[in-house]
Amino acid sequence: MVTLNPTTHAYLDGQLLAFQPGDTILKFVDRHKGRGFVPTLCDAPQLDPYGACRVCSVEVALKEDGPRRVVASCHTPLSAGMHVHTQTQKVQKLRRNIVELVLTDHPLDCLTCEVNGNCELQTVAAKVGIRKVRYPEGKNHLNRQKDLSHPYMTSDLSKCINCSRCVRACDEVQGQFVLSMHGRGFDARIIKGFDTSFEDSECVSCGACSQACPTSAISDIFQSKAIVATEKTRTICTYCGVGCNLDVATKNNEVLSIQAPLDAEVNFAHTCLKGRYAFRFYNHPDRLRKPLIRTNGHFEEVTWEQAYAHIVENLTRIRAEYGPDSIAGISSARCTNEENYLMQKFIRAVIGTNNIDCCARVCHSPTAFGMQQSFGTGAATNSVEDLQHTQCILVIGANPTEGHPVTGAKIKQRAMKGVPLIVIDPREIEIVKYAKHHLQLRPGTNVALLNMFAYFILEGGMVDRDFVGSRCENWSEFEAGLRSLDLDQIEEVTGVPREKVRAAATEYAESPASMSFHGLGVTEHSMGAKTVMLIANLAMMTGNIGRPGVGVNPLRGQNNVQGAADMGCQPHQGAGYMRVNDPAMQRLYQDFYGMPVSGEIGLKIPEMFEAARNGRLKALWLMGEDVVQTDPNSEAVKESMNALDFLVVQEIFMTETAKFANVILPAASFLEKSGTFTNAERRVQRVNAAVPPLEGTKPDGQIICEIMQHMGYPQADYTADGVLEEISRVVPFFKGATWEGLGDNGKQWPVKEGNVGTPIMHLDSFKRGLGKFHFFAWQESQEVLEHGLEFPYILTTGRLLEHYNCGTMTRRTGNADIVVEDVVVINPADAAKKGVTGGDWVRLFSARGEVRLRSRISEEVKPGVIYTTFHFPEHLVNNITSDVHDSDTLCPEYKVVAIDFERVGSGDEPAGLPIREKGRAHTLPV
Amino acid sequence: MSNVTYISGKEPHSREHRLIFRNIDRKGYDPGLKCYLKDGGYEQLKKAVTMEPKAITDEVKAAGLRGRGGAGFPTGLKWTFIPPTNTKPVYLICNADESEPGTFKDRYIMHQDPHQLLEGMAIACYAVGAKLAYIYVREEFPHAARILEEAIAEATKAGFLGKGICGSTFDLELYVHRGAGAYICGEETGLIESLEGKRPYPRIKPPFFPAVLGLYMSPTIVNNVESLCHVKHILAMGGAEYAKLGTPNNTGTRILCVSGDVQKPGYFEVQVGKVTLGEVIQDLCGGLKPGRKLQAVIPGGSSAKVLRADERFKLKRGDEMVEIGLEDIPMDFDSLAACGSMAGSGGVIIIDDSRKISWVLNNINSFYAHESCGQCTPCREGSLWMKKISDRIVAGKASPDDVATLESVANNIEGKTICAFGEACSWPTQSFIRKFREELVADTREELAGVPVNHETTLAAANLKN
Repeated sequence: MVTLNPTTHAYLDGQLLAFQPGDTILKFVDRHKGRGFVPTLCDAPQLDPYGACRVCSVEVALKEDGPRRVVASCHTPLSAGMHVHTQTQKVQKLRRNIVELVLTDHPLDCLTCEVNGNCELQTVAAKVGIRKVRYPEGKNHLNRQKDLSHPYMTSDLSKCINCSRCVRACDEVQGQFVLSMHGRGFDARIIKGFDTSFEDSECVSCGACSQACPTSAISDIFQSKAIVATEKTRTICTYCGVGCNLDVATKNNEVLSIQAPLDAEVNFAHTCLKGRYAFRFYNHPDRLRKPLIRTNGHFEEVTWEQAYAHIVENLTRIRAEYGPDSIAGISSARCTNEENYLMQKFIRAVIGTNNIDCCARVCHSPTAFGMQQSFGTGAATNSVEDLQHTQCILVIGANPTEGHPVTGAKIKQRAMKGVPLIVIDPREIEIVKYAKHHLQLRPGTNVALLNMFAYFILEGGMVDRDFVGSRCENWSEFEAGLRSLDLDQIEEVTGVPREKVRAAATEYAESPASMSFHGLGVTEHSMGAKTVMLIANLAMMTGNIGRPGVGVNPLRGQNNVQGAADMGCQPHQGAGYMRVNDPAMQRLYQDFYGMPVSGEIGLKIPEMFEAARNGRLKALWLMGEDVVQTDPNSEAVKESMNALDFLVVQEIFMTETAKFANVILPAASFLEKSGTFTNAERRVQRVNAAVPPLEGTKPDGQIICEIMQHMGYPQADYTADGVLEEISRVVPFFKGATWEGLGDNGKQWPVKEGNVGTPIMHLDSFKRGLGKFHFFAWQESQEVLEHGLEFPYILTTGRLLEHYNCGTMTRRTGNADIVVEDVVVINPADAAKKGVTGGDWVRLFSARGEVRLRSRISEEVKPGVIYTTFHFPEHLVNNITSDVHDSDTLCPEYKVVAIDFERVGSGDEPAGLPIREKGRAHTLPV
Repeated sequence: MSNVTYISGKEPHSREHRLIFRNIDRKGYDPGLKCYLKDGGYEQLKKAVTMEPKAITDEVKAAGLRGRGGAGFPTGLKWTFIPPTNTKPVYLICNADESEPGTFKDRYIMHQDPHQLLEGMAIACYAVGAKLAYIYVREEFPHAARILEEAIAEATKAGFLGKGICGSTFDLELYVHRGAGAYICGEETGLIESLEGKRPYPRIKPPFFPAVLGLYMSPTIVNNVESLCHVKHILAMGGAEYAKLGTPNNTGTRILCVSGDVQKPGYFEVQVGKVTLGEVIQDLCGGLKPGRKLQAVIPGGSSAKVLRADERFKLKRGDEMVEIGLEDIPMDFDSLAACGSMAGSGGVIIIDDSRKISWVLNNINSFYAHESCGQCTPCREGSLWMKKISDRIVAGKASPDDVATLESVANNIEGKTICAFGEACSWPTQSFIRKFREELVADTREELAGVPVNHETTLAAANLKN
């Protein structure tokens, strides 16, 4: 017999059942009886309780025969021993009456409606048993116009039942506040912005409203809620390090639409427009579908066997002639862990060199290196979930609402709930609006500013001496460094008044739990890795490590940039971060691969380019990376590509880099392959092929396996679970990971045996034992020292929500209709000096080259600072970026470029480039 | 007090007991600070800031003051709902969104005696620990907003508001916030949303009880204009003395706003429960119009349930139950509730036999259909259907079945919405049908039973007729 535990049980229709603390009645019913047992129209799991439709009404009593009260179950908390009656005549009649009223103003065209069969109103109406509507036809809203203005979002508000779910999704999930309710009572209706169309509103097309809408009142061009799909596949988004889970609907091996699963721990029914809508690149006519070999300056289609034979012949020849170190590979943070593992294994075990690197080099290599120096592990210490527990958020050099939209939205939501937000960024980015402190420093002075930040924590007596004493080392050297700072100089170079820094530092240090996030605005600098170590210092000196709501949390750019490094796609560490030049580790890898491996540290990407130009590097294998467009100083990169003897490119599209290749192998996109991605919070998640590879293409992992086999290495054929099993035997922190055990929501590494993940690291001690403080004095970038006089403006680069990196994928989707070009942002004072008005064509020039872009005049940048993005190959912004690199990791300094600029024409005149007229409101010239 | 003289024709009735309205329509009285001070203004605030805040709350509790906005909830008790462990700022909001049809008392206070309200608010803020308070004035009272702003400026300059009030350490900032013309903003959580700059959708309770999670998610006390004015008089008289006014559990005075079919409609401040409804009509208002008979009374604002002239009511008097007629109902909270209606906002609407009852109901339904905020489905859709059906009845285009449909729509709203607007809009229909079913059915047409109705034409006809 069940005994009544007064704190944990209540009666559901007479049955005694357990509930969880904080349960509403509806949550309790949903858990035990399944969603829909008690119908509702306005409640949605991803939204806060709302209580407006009243369809979820139930009767409750405190005693079995006690007086009953009708309450809305969605927002009424459950109390112990409560009697909940969900099916009484009274509530059934009430539900019926409400739905009947709703139907008086809803078109009864179910059969031709896009959501027929998957409409919540339809389901609820059927459930409550509506047979007829007693009210005569009267004034209604059935003639409202559809809104088909937007590349993705659609609305047909004649179908609207005023449940406000879309409004709440826009507010509570995305935090964009585009949708709202206008008018009252019967005249209440949904509007976008100031009653405009989707296209003209500030909508960021995240689609949260469309997913939340119970009818087809708000939908999208893919009709994502229609039930024409025959299959749904859960996979992981390929666009950024957040790692959103996606439900991909397919029919006849074609992707129809994408939704965000309700049970996804990472993104809980939310994702951005890239994840949800920008998938049509995958079967775009531009996709490469045949291997290509360059013969006499032209690409010729060949069979896979011909391509492999050609590659084997050339690689064998070059290795024999120039040695294995004349060959290098660049892996891709866009590919799976399994593919990255295989790629480095191919280069190390089959070619026999450590010349393997990946695009983490140009983004977060300083993070991996810096955090290893401080903590022993180059990965986020905490989880994004910790945002729910933190009491102070510090964002440094990251623009999360554009770059990591789902995490950005969460940060925004927390800030709106009153969690103090500190932003250190040279631009007034979107989250600055929600920030308590904004330290708008000059690009290139992170180290100076963070030193001052730490100084004020020290000076204010806010150092956590216990933590520092028991868990860290090298404090006294660091303290001495801080005491030697020249604050006047720092104020001058950063352009940030010291009192602002003191206030922010106090906020961070005095909060019981402070959490930092950083992005490429930290790493892509000449002192990038050092800046990362300074961020680690802040966390250690305030004891913000090893518990919920704290830590140092890099926002990784690419979907698997964490995983690519974990798998050993870097020249100095193999799979699992063991040092290649440590003889014991060299033996370990040798035994595991069954082949001799090199004990020499290999070349980093910029070193590879240099070696190619010097003739030392003869062959390069590129997997899914467009170095010509994305690496700095494009001219130099092109020169390197030209200098190579043999270039193999594995790609899905003909990229700027692929044009230089000797062999192009047509690969498959993330929708067509299986494996795992590791997101920025170390969460290893399963990628599942939703559709088979396009005819003629192969998943990257399979290509690598086949070339290994052709080169004579006995690698088994590619299977995701098979390679993961191999990885788990060599990478220590994957030890407990199995394909099955990862489950729907993945596991955060270290994954211990039994598939036990690790949401928070460094709980009692650091990976390296004691956490290490480092002090570095700030130094001006070589770029500014060398070119600052001639080119007095500082250009800093970033990216937009709508486009991903060089846009290979997003430019082949509807996103290209939303944002059509890179635009340069100039402060009004600078614009006035140069006679530039908004929309004018501007020529930016540096010591390396020039680009022409249209201008937007805005105070989001300070005078002297210029900002742009590099999504469009037509512009090739990297023509002007510099050769300066982070001194520790050779990560390029994209964020500080000495330039000058001039007006070259009005916005109406084509500057030799196509202009399209549409665009997201904030990217248009103002 | 004998020197107080009033504008001719505005003299208080001998049955009145003026506290709050002492200076209303008084000769030579103006809303300025000088005038207020001449009459002992801000003396109670000076006293209050020397007291323990809790002592003030205790006086208000002892006085037995019940909210004058509509619900009649004990004011002192409401103040104690702020969690004792609270660390967030506490806010006080004066609800000056006087918009219940039939109610017109608060506007007189704001127009003619604004400092009385400010003093009451300042004392209340001191008692609950609020350093920031708002007066939420409905859009339709632009003059009141202007007068209050001038009064706030004057009082701040004179040290009755602002920093270190009356030489104490008590600081208070007070702001006037103007509504935008929605009845729902009189609902306290809707008001709070509106004050936050949002659409005034009432909040769900739980969890958003204003005393815990109110304005900016901080503890918030929302009190009516008249209620806050009473605080000053309670402090002046002492709670126990104040409680001697009126009747037990229905203490003090309150302002009745009488409108409709009487000789002299207007405002009357009386001791609660010391006058009957009959005395209100006959004595205070000079009786009905010549040759007219009383048909019905709505005793507490348009949302209060209607009382029928020939109805009999059972009321407890001492230990025994007595049966009384409408004219003998004492005008207090408990008696009116016992008679199946409520004292509400004090708006007494007298309806004589010249009025067609279906027209009265339709008038009320039109108001609520116009004012439903649209958040909850039963109310948004239901209030409109109640109006549509009563439109039809008025136009003589309804079938007898429509009365039952009308009643079922109302039953479907009451108690099934987030805020009390659901009750406010359904009680009139429910009570009119219960008490005047025959009259309503008589306005329908037997031959229309079962005939499909084109609603738009009947609507047009209804508009013509009205």
